[in-house]
Amino acid sequence: MEQKDLYLIGVAVLICIVICALSPYIASGDPDGLEKSAEDSGIPEDFSIEEINGIPDAIFPDYAFASAPDNQPLQIVALVLGTILTLIVGYGVAHVVRNRN
Amino acid sequence: MHIPDGFIPIAQCLVYYVILIVALYFSVRWAKSNLDEKRIPLLAVLAAGIFAIMSMNMPIPFGTSGHMVGGALVAIIFLAPEAAVLVFTVVLLIQALIFGDGGITALGANVLNMAIIGGFVGLFTFKGLNGIIGKYPAAGVAAWLATVIAAFACAVEMGIAGTFPMNIGIPSMVLYHFFIGIIEAVLTVIVLVALDKFRPDLLAWNRGDA
Repeated sequence: MEQKDLYLIGVAVLICIVICALSPYIASGDPDGLEKSAEDSGIPEDFSIEEINGIPDAIFPDYAFASAPDNQPLQIVALVLGTILTLIVGYGVAHVVRNRN
Repeated sequence: MHIPDGFIPIAQCLVYYVILIVALYFSVRWAKSNLDEKRIPLLAVLAAGIFAIMSMNMPIPFGTSGHMVGGALVAIIFLAPEAAVLVFTVVLLIQALIFGDGGITALGANVLNMAIIGGFVGLFTFKGLNGIIGKYPAAGVAAWLATVIAAFACAVEMGIAGTFPMNIGIPSMVLYHFFIGIIEAVLTVIVLVALDKFRPDLLAWNRGDA
């Protein structure tokens, strides 16, 4: 990898970490567009159109530690871990499918 | 607009998974001839950046919030919606499996809305307007329209699923995403300006691909 690509990754990770550090404090907790549309049509919050079994529990439900869902510093940790994981998986996938010529 | 588990019946989820598999087939084929070594780090940082920015919900009117999605951005950077499919399959899979954001069963529908529809609408709006209003205004309008059309598609899917009716879902989704699309447009243009300034070599529009 060239120097400028390492620089790209470094700057991007830095920006991501800033976003992850701010999100737990400044992101809006209001429902998003889809949740609000569901509300507008009067369906309950835990709505399910049919019974779905076998969905594994998320390790970090709602980007938080399951044991401390409101702990903001731990939310930062969960977000940063997710960002790094996405970076690595994204790199891996791109590497596997790349043009080899 | 992450659709959770339970909003789409399993039988319909399977249809969206078939669409996802077909889209991945074409995306891998695109990558094998177009994704050179040089742009691997770019694809990886776009995935990471989209994961992070999706945590930053910003307030919009009506007691609602929204975040940037990025499907149009990725499609415009690579001038290929296939790149958005690859990026979003990674991001949405990690979000669904590890963070409980967006359903595992709804993965196909979520990739369809954010990457396939978002990517195609974004890229072709950009291409259509680029020569008329310039690349950054074109990218902004493209990102906005991609958000609104993806939201419209999501509302149609919710109607087909029977989760909420289209006569309420379509106006609600389009109204909220009219505003969320503005966030999308601003951030899309900022990222494109920054890339064009610092790494113009990574933008497909500077490589004669346009």
